[in-house]
Amino acid sequence: MPDKGSVASAPDFSTVASGPVRSRAEVPEREGPASVPPGNPTVTALWEQFPDGVLRNRVCAGDEDVVYIDPERVTEILGWLHETAGQQYDHLADVTAVDYGGGRPIEVVYQLWSIPHRAALRVKCELPLDALEIDSVTGIWVGADWLEREVYDLFGVTFQGHPDLRRILMPENYAEGHPLRKDFPLRGRFSRAEQTRRALTQDPEDYYMPGEIGERTPQVVGSGADGGDDAAGSGAGVGTEGGDDGL
Amino acid sequence: MGVDKPGVLGAGTPAFLTTRLDFVVNWARRNSLWPMPFGTACCAIEMMASAASNFDLARFGMERMSFSPRQADVLICAGRVPYKLAPVLRRIWDQMMQPKWCISMGACASSGGVFDVYSMVQGIDTIVPVDVYIPGCPPRPEGLIYGLMMVQEKIRGESLTRHGELRAEDPLAVGRPRADDQEVSDLTGPFGNSTQQNQVSGLVDTGAVGRPEDRLP
Repeated sequence: MPDKGSVASAPDFSTVASGPVRSRAEVPEREGPASVPPGNPTVTALWEQFPDGVLRNRVCAGDEDVVYIDPERVTEILGWLHETAGQQYDHLADVTAVDYGGGRPIEVVYQLWSIPHRAALRVKCELPLDALEIDSVTGIWVGADWLEREVYDLFGVTFQGHPDLRRILMPENYAEGHPLRKDFPLRGRFSRAEQTRRALTQDPEDYYMPGEIGERTPQVVGSGADGGDDAAGSGAGVGTEGGDDGL
Repeated sequence: MGVDKPGVLGAGTPAFLTTRLDFVVNWARRNSLWPMPFGTACCAIEMMASAASNFDLARFGMERMSFSPRQADVLICAGRVPYKLAPVLRRIWDQMMQPKWCISMGACASSGGVFDVYSMVQGIDTIVPVDVYIPGCPPRPEGLIYGLMMVQEKIRGESLTRHGELRAEDPLAVGRPRADDQEVSDLTGPFGNSTQQNQVSGLVDTGAVGRPEDRLP
């Protein structure tokens, strides 16, 4: 019995402390290049390259490096991460945002992945609620197009230089704001009757034109019917022409 | 040799029978219901299972899922419908030929379900007229088949002479909400009327948390 009591009062955490999981308390946020953790070489390189562009960094969930950068220099820093030989973060896995509520700034999150180096990096930009503007990174990764539209739609962050910044998930005539903000009421701002009425006044075909989905090559229909005696030859000819047009 | 063969009613009976026109028409209609599957979520998986061989919807005359609304008789809305999809659902309903029926399959289609949020239609009966509601999340295939049989029972009681009053549609109402504002508020209350909402998400303390009247006793 005394053995049991001692075991309960003094658990052995020595093996846990040496394990791969580090809590946030053990890895505090680092301010300034003097306290760069020795872990991620990209973070070290960022501190050296942009000493005034990188605000701080921390390690999240054990081994995920998060770098906070100046929103004014987002295209410069992310472009450097994309182009530089040792970094080559060529895959933009996600662009999203987080609203922590309480008037705190909205964080725009860029989740990067380097295919040649097999390394991940999370870059965050803090935007105050009264200046929700940031440069678009569609010039660096084309795939950021819809991701930034989603952030604009749900959080109201304006991306400067985006080629087609409009709503992507909510209806085009949605006028209640940006739903993923913490100050947005769960059921929206309008009554259900007004929401129903507005939903039915929209015409989906106004917003999904064939040009947006992608122009389809017009198919030659009925070409086999007119040349019944020479169906094989004419069909092959039409097919070749159609292929050339399509390419 | 087929001349002396007795008819179905026995020897000596004539080879025809008299019946009510309503009965024949309703018999034909209710045994050849072609569903228009409008599956948006997990309920659609159960709808597929209903059509597959274990449950075999075709036993009851739903022989063929009609993926064109113009050749469909009964709209099965299976799954949640967001406001962005509401005009699509309404248009498909308007494209279906009379006579037509509508089944709201599952909790989300019938009432919004757990999705009492800004983006979700709180029951498709605010968009289209619903004949049968099937509860469940999702309903089992037996539930869908039972709902279709309830549609069949409803057809059995219909009459051609009252067709106009049963199935009248106002052309001016096409594309408009099925219910007026008051009816929408009644249908969606106490859930989903944001004017009565006293709970704001986030870290702002509004002083009003929870709605006791929404809780089960």
